[in-house]
Amino acid sequence: MVTAKKLEPGGKSDLHTDHQILNMGPSHPATHGTVKIVLEIDGEQIVDMEVMVGYLHRGFEKECESGTWYQAIPYTDRLNYNSAILANLSFCMAVEKLLEIELPHRCLWVRTLAGELSRMGDHLTRLGAACLELGAMTPFLYGIEARELVWDLQEMLCGARVTANYIRIGGLQRQVPEGFEDRMAQSLMRIEQLLVDFDKLVTANRIFVDRFRRTGMIPAQRLIEYGVTGPLLRAAGIPLDLRKAEPYLVYDQLDFDVPVGTIGDNYDRFLVCQEELAQSIRIIRQCLPVLRKTRGEPVDVDDPKIRWPAKDRVFGRMEELIQQFKGVTEGVKVPAGEAYSAIESANGELGFYIVSDGTGKPYKVRCRAPSFMNVAPLREMMLGGMLADIVPTFDMINMIGGECDR
Amino acid sequence: MAVELLERVGELLGDAVIDSHARLGDATVLVDAGRIQEVLGALRDSDLRFNVLMDLTAVDYLGRNPRFEVVYHLASVDTEPHGTDPARLPHRLRVKAGVLEDPCEIGSATSLYVSADWMEREVWDLYGIVFKGHPDLKRILLYEQFEGHPLRKDYPKERRQPLIGPLN
Amino acid sequence: MPGKVVRVRRRERLGWAERLYLPMIFVGLGVTARVFFRNLWGYIIGKKKTFVVQYPEERLDYADAFRGHPVLVALEDGKPKCVACGLCEFACPTDCITIIPGETHDPIERIPEVFDIDMSRCMFCGLCEEACPEEAIVMSRDVELATYERGPMLFHMKDLLRDEDTLGRRIGFIRQDYDR
Ligand code: SF4
Ligand code: SF4
Repeated sequence: MVTAKKLEPGGKSDLHTDHQILNMGPSHPATHGTVKIVLEIDGEQIVDMEVMVGYLHRGFEKECESGTWYQAIPYTDRLNYNSAILANLSFCMAVEKLLEIELPHRCLWVRTLAGELSRMGDHLTRLGAACLELGAMTPFLYGIEARELVWDLQEMLCGARVTANYIRIGGLQRQVPEGFEDRMAQSLMRIEQLLVDFDKLVTANRIFVDRFRRTGMIPAQRLIEYGVTGPLLRAAGIPLDLRKAEPYLVYDQLDFDVPVGTIGDNYDRFLVCQEELAQSIRIIRQCLPVLRKTRGEPVDVDDPKIRWPAKDRVFGRMEELIQQFKGVTEGVKVPAGEAYSAIESANGELGFYIVSDGTGKPYKVRCRAPSFMNVAPLREMMLGGMLADIVPTFDMINMIGGECDR
Repeated sequence: MAVELLERVGELLGDAVIDSHARLGDATVLVDAGRIQEVLGALRDSDLRFNVLMDLTAVDYLGRNPRFEVVYHLASVDTEPHGTDPARLPHRLRVKAGVLEDPCEIGSATSLYVSADWMEREVWDLYGIVFKGHPDLKRILLYEQFEGHPLRKDYPKERRQPLIGPLN
Repeated sequence: MPGKVVRVRRRERLGWAERLYLPMIFVGLGVTARVFFRNLWGYIIGKKKTFVVQYPEERLDYADAFRGHPVLVALEDGKPKCVACGLCEFACPTDCITIIPGETHDPIERIPEVFDIDMSRCMFCGLCEEACPEEAIVMSRDVELATYERGPMLFHMKDLLRDEDTLGRRIGFIRQDYDR
């Protein structure tokens, strides 16, 4: 706990000055999500601070243990509500690792595309909100317009803009709808235009540059010690990207670059995110032709014990009806054991450590949330800095309350 | 790959390793809980260079002895630049240590990995496992007045907590 | 495929135009002015160019896949198609469905006597629809559920029943996927 200390008497000034304790949050417009920061400040300088998380704790892990494996998927949407599909994906990949199943070719490509779409939504929100919180309303609107286009596509794909519930254990919620690829290609062009405008409005604006440059710095070595991953680490110059380091899905067949920064200040973080958006668009452009070519191929594993059987067979045949009943009431029987699987989410390594005891219910679901790990170094980033620099730093960390507090 | 890694880890740790397996490609070692700091220190400083503590959690195996298992996920990130190649992540290791119900404690890893700080607080919060040597072990996700540790298997999901008033 | 690491281009030193604040502000104003005149022109010629929609007067047409709150499909005689098998109750992660089965002398003997969905707990996930073996519960296109009290959020069977033809778009959409 931070406590105020009196300054030593006999200083130069005759003014009686004390360190001041300031509560920032839990409901502060700049702490998207709810987090409380208790600051000890000397004028505008931060002497000490304590970050208190947990205001959004909803018992995700406990809740998962009381349902079936299937029923945990909608809850993963609510972890990082900016990129729900990535959380779905990470969870399902962990379960599939325990099940040791091979997914159909098309499923992998659709998952990659959906994941990148989700990542774009997350980065666009982060960049837009960062401007908004520094008082620049206009760029925010451009970013959000682009994000709306992304979310419209997501709605077309899975029926909801935010809470996607798209990835299933052993497949996908449904096939990609007709005309999705064309709509996607159009939207990507519009998003690119918007990004150009966004760039013109912000990146060369001196007010913006002055507030982002050389703020919130921390050496790369400390970030490694803190277990920080994702754009934050890459901005500090370490090009760690799980899509390259441990390629999953079809990332080993895709051509994309890993942007890195130089000194790891907020400006670098901003630029890295901007460049990652461009790379995501590049990845999606490579996925689209494959999606067109493989239209009509299955996206689910053909095993009614894992994926509920297709409806026309459930309606028509007794055997499948019984399988449907068993599948719903008992859930997927995941073999006993433990597995950890991680993906590169928009904030860093999003991993799930799951333990199964062989019944249809998870014994333990643990989410290694990147946001949780990424806010921990905030104190060290800000010590000795200015009060006003907390806002841009916090924005670029992009702490998502739902994911951090679970 | 995981098997080779386990051999090297086994050599390094000697008799601190109680059990090990490489199921599903995840190299896993079960170690002596009393020597956990020594084990993690050796893994971090050896040429295997497990420099990142990615995840730290616990599992409650109610009815088993020892009841709890603290699970560490270590990763070794190659931070040296390799021209224009992305950084590599050569290996990951899962370290597990059993913790008794009483005394429910294990050594803290905070002196070795800074990232253990918050995660150990979380495990204390949700499982009630004490990390000896942690500088400031207090609840992180829940509030101070919360009774019990919710992720223990004997904590009923529907249990209600007493209403707390304003603190001052 | 080997991708490479690219270093993002920092502007360590700003140009004179950027350092003077004003020129870059005019560049920004240029961007917004362009959009403003484009929208104005759209307004004059009567072709809407703005992205923002004036909800609730104007509404967007949601995608076919859109999931609103779950509703029950009614047969021609107004009775539910549901046979009270309870699968949706099992599938629902939030336990918000309550079914009490009953029997009738109709050709379909089982019918729910009570079918309640607590909409304040429902999270529109669609698992009930996926689980139902009778196509009896589907996601509607309604999302506007706000009330002043909690009571009306408990939907009973009469609030949930909808004619099959009003749900045509959703049923048509989910049928596309039946053969997967
Ligand atoms: S949509 Fe989901 S939460 Fe709502 S009733 Fe159906 S299964 Fe339950
Ligand atoms: S699953 Fe369908 S048929 Fe069964 S109780 Fe639910 S709505 Fe009725």
